[in-house]
Amino acid sequence: MRARLAGMLMLGMIIICLAYFLRSLFTSTPEISSLGKFYLQNSYLGERSAGSPEVVTSILWDYRGLDTYFETAVLFLAIISAVSVFRNMEHREVGDGFTGITKTGIKLVAFVTFVTSASVAFHGHLTPGGGFQGGSILAAVSLLVIAGFSKGALEGNGITKDRALAIRTLGLAIITAVAFYPLLEGFNFMQNLPVYPVRIRGLLISGSLLLYNVAEFLAVGAGFTIIFLLLSLPEVRRE
Amino acid sequence: MILASIGLILLIAGVICDVFGAIGMHRFDNFYLRLHAATVGTIGGKFYPLIGVALIAADMRLWPIAGIALLSALLVMITAPVGSHALAFAAAEKNLVPIEKNEFTGDSR
Repeated sequence: MRARLAGMLMLGMIIICLAYFLRSLFTSTPEISSLGKFYLQNSYLGERSAGSPEVVTSILWDYRGLDTYFETAVLFLAIISAVSVFRNMEHREVGDGFTGITKTGIKLVAFVTFVTSASVAFHGHLTPGGGFQGGSILAAVSLLVIAGFSKGALEGNGITKDRALAIRTLGLAIITAVAFYPLLEGFNFMQNLPVYPVRIRGLLISGSLLLYNVAEFLAVGAGFTIIFLLLSLPEVRRE
Repeated sequence: MILASIGLILLIAGVICDVFGAIGMHRFDNFYLRLHAATVGTIGGKFYPLIGVALIAADMRLWPIAGIALLSALLVMITAPVGSHALAFAAAEKNLVPIEKNEFTGDSR
């Protein structure tokens, strides 16, 4: 009876999904809202250009930059509070990781993931992606190393909690400096284009978008690394 | 044309492997057997179709897509065995899942 119910449920879900995806065949294409048209026309070519062909990044760091700025600040506060919660935990080491097969595989995959994270972050103003996405992938590298080797392997190679916190603060400081610099020049807070150059020696850097992406990449990658380091503290067994 | 046909055959083989993997995940009642079914799903149902996509893209002269598909196939080929090995090793080492019959030593524990 339960198996039949599950089958009926699955069939119903498949029908609903099919109807959802096929509905565009029977209805007219939706109109783009005026705000969406503004973003699409202006992000690279228009008069209020952000200098970036990637519309999502130009919305995140230029048109709606203030939102992202405080979002980053909120994430920083969350990580600070996690650090303060865990501040009295003892450092102790349990176990020595997985087998050699796993470690070799993790070495290969971690290298590829590291390169991918950098590419996602540094191309954030050209292709889909950006600082937050690249930073999350970077943190996945540290999570891989913790899972396959150990927490000590990460700390033995120089990525300790304090150093990661320093990198996180550096990233946030770069974001703050880039956001406040236009005020000194007499422009608005977080203004992008007349202040920062669109290209340097013919290379498209989209004004401040590249700077924000790199800083956010450092901040998010180091921030999530701190969280993973703290959460991987082994539990103390009381006898 | 020949490349695209081979790619299409690989794609269809991938679909069949995926179906078998899904049936195995549903019908097998042991952790290790299910792991086997899951690996059939990842290697047969992901690695071969990605190679097939690369061949089809190469036939259509879409070299970037072919390169990305080949790279993804390589990564899947590394990660899928390593992942299933890690799962099986952890389960056997910590005695989380008992082995009913050990093929190597002949005894059961």
